Amino acid sequence: MDQKPDTSGSGVPLVPKSLGIKVGMLLAFSVTVAVALVVYVLHAGGAFEEFQRLTLVTDNAEGVAPGMDLTFAGFPIGRVRRLSLRDDGKALIHVRVAKTQVRWLRTTSKFVLEVPLVGSVKLRAFTSNLEDPQLADRAVVDVLRGDTAETVPEMVATLNNILNNVGHMTASDSSLQLSLANLRVVTERMAGKHGVLGAALGSEDNAKKMIQAIDRANALLASLGGVSQRLDSVLAKTDQRVLGPGGIVEETQKAVRQANAILGEVSANLKRVDAILTDAQAVASNAKVATADLGALRAEVEASLRKVGALIDEINRKWPFERDTTIKLP
Amino acid sequence: MAFGGEIILQPRSWQRLLRFGGYATVAALSPSSYGPAARALAVRQIYLTAWKVLPAYLAFSALLSVVIIEILRNSEIVRSAASALGRTHVDTALDLVLRVLVLELIPLSTAIFVALRSGAAIGAEVALMRVQGALEDHRERGGSPLHAELAPRIAGAALSVFSLTALSVALAMFLAYMSFFGGSSAGFDMYTRIVGHLFNGFILIGLLLKCLLFGLAVALIPLATGLEAEVGKLGTVPAAVLAGLMKLFLVIGVIEVLSLVIKYVDVVEVLSSLLKYD
Repeated sequence: MDQKPDTSGSGVPLVPKSLGIKVGMLLAFSVTVAVALVVYVLHAGGAFEEFQRLTLVTDNAEGVAPGMDLTFAGFPIGRVRRLSLRDDGKALIHVRVAKTQVRWLRTTSKFVLEVPLVGSVKLRAFTSNLEDPQLADRAVVDVLRGDTAETVPEMVATLNNILNNVGHMTASDSSLQLSLANLRVVTERMAGKHGVLGAALGSEDNAKKMIQAIDRANALLASLGGVSQRLDSVLAKTDQRVLGPGGIVEETQKAVRQANAILGEVSANLKRVDAILTDAQAVASNAKVATADLGALRAEVEASLRKVGALIDEINRKWPFERDTTIKLP
Repeated sequence: MAFGGEIILQPRSWQRLLRFGGYATVAALSPSSYGPAARALAVRQIYLTAWKVLPAYLAFSALLSVVIIEILRNSEIVRSAASALGRTHVDTALDLVLRVLVLELIPLSTAIFVALRSGAAIGAEVALMRVQGALEDHRERGGSPLHAELAPRIAGAALSVFSLTALSVALAMFLAYMSFFGGSSAGFDMYTRIVGHLFNGFILIGLLLKCLLFGLAVALIPLATGLEAEVGKLGTVPAAVLAGLMKLFLVIGVIEVLSLVIKYVDVVEVLSSLLKYD
């Protein structure tokens, strides 16, 4: 150690002047630093600032603690001083806002107490219109509480529902599982001998039949091809018969010509018939005259007949074998 | 009085300490105590305790600060705690740095440093004076040994503790700013805000009070215990010096723990819960 105990108590200045100056400088510097630090810390704590008071009213001030910042646009503009409970059961958050920062708070400002799911509570101020009148000192304003935790039970219920549904879906007898099982059967069939056809028709047998049917259809188509070829040749021949030289059409034309000739003859005959008919007319008119004579003749014949009849009747009455003159009525 | 431990266990020793502490503090604070000789003694004390060790001590505290700052700044735990709290990493880490360094480690290490550097020396000096009867000689010459010999030493040691604490705290705060924000002045507002958050009136008064108590303890206890040495018995000097150091560390520990308890433990709650479960 540097100290020399034996030099004490003599009453004589023991230190050179330069030592005193050094120590004085050290003390002065230390005092300056200490005072500066204290002043800085007080300044940081807002000791030299003028404040305006603001009271925020909320139903639930849980999570709010003295010293918490009130932020505006992410910048701290005020600090929570203390909390209290009003007579009506509302919680009061007493905030101190520096006079220099009050201009961000207007009468229309909204205050929000944000309670995130994770992390600490945040107190925020929102001002939509900075032209509105400035918030007065000792203002009492309601706080909106945005609590994520409060929506959690609802979320849990919904989640539960979803999980139940998922549970139903993944259960061994669920329709999803059955569908998947069916899908597996189908894909297995697809991978089988008859591939997609087997999957579509349900079994190997059906697929085989289907293939046979297709084969038959193919054969049928082949024979149909032969038929159509034959039909083609038939048609060609028909064509030739009908339209070719000496074909039906030509013969018909001939026949028509002959018919024409016949019709000409018929027409001549008819003219002759016409003449005959004219003659017949003349004959008929003669006959008419004769008919008129016949009338008279007939009347005479009839009168003669009646006389004959009356004669016969006379004979019959006079006839001995025939005495029955009564008239038999049917 | 062969062992320091025996002195510590004596209640009368503590009573003497308290009584002496009261007298000595009053004497150290009264301007009439400081004649030219006493002033010279105080200056010498400060020179030896603070000035000569200043570069070494500042280097030590800078190293300690940088290590603690870097540990907290790069700690993943601090980072995840910050994100869990919904705060920025700088906020959280700087708050921790200031709490750990400025409020606790720097004042404590300064007190211990000064105690080791000067406490033992002052205790030995006073114990020797006592053994040699120098204090009695003083009294016989009509002077007061308390004012002439002891008060300047007490004032010198206390001022040394104050000076070293103030400078190393300023250095630690500067280093904290530099490692978080570099040479840029852009972080100053944020830094000021975090400092303002941390140092409310309660914390600031607590810090000043703690530094004052550390200074008093470092100045008074070794000196008062040195007086326990017996006149003419040179063999009692080591025991008295050792007892002084032990008492000093005990008191420093108690002050530190009490300050932590007051700051971070809700005493009423702990007591009531203890009573409830007993």
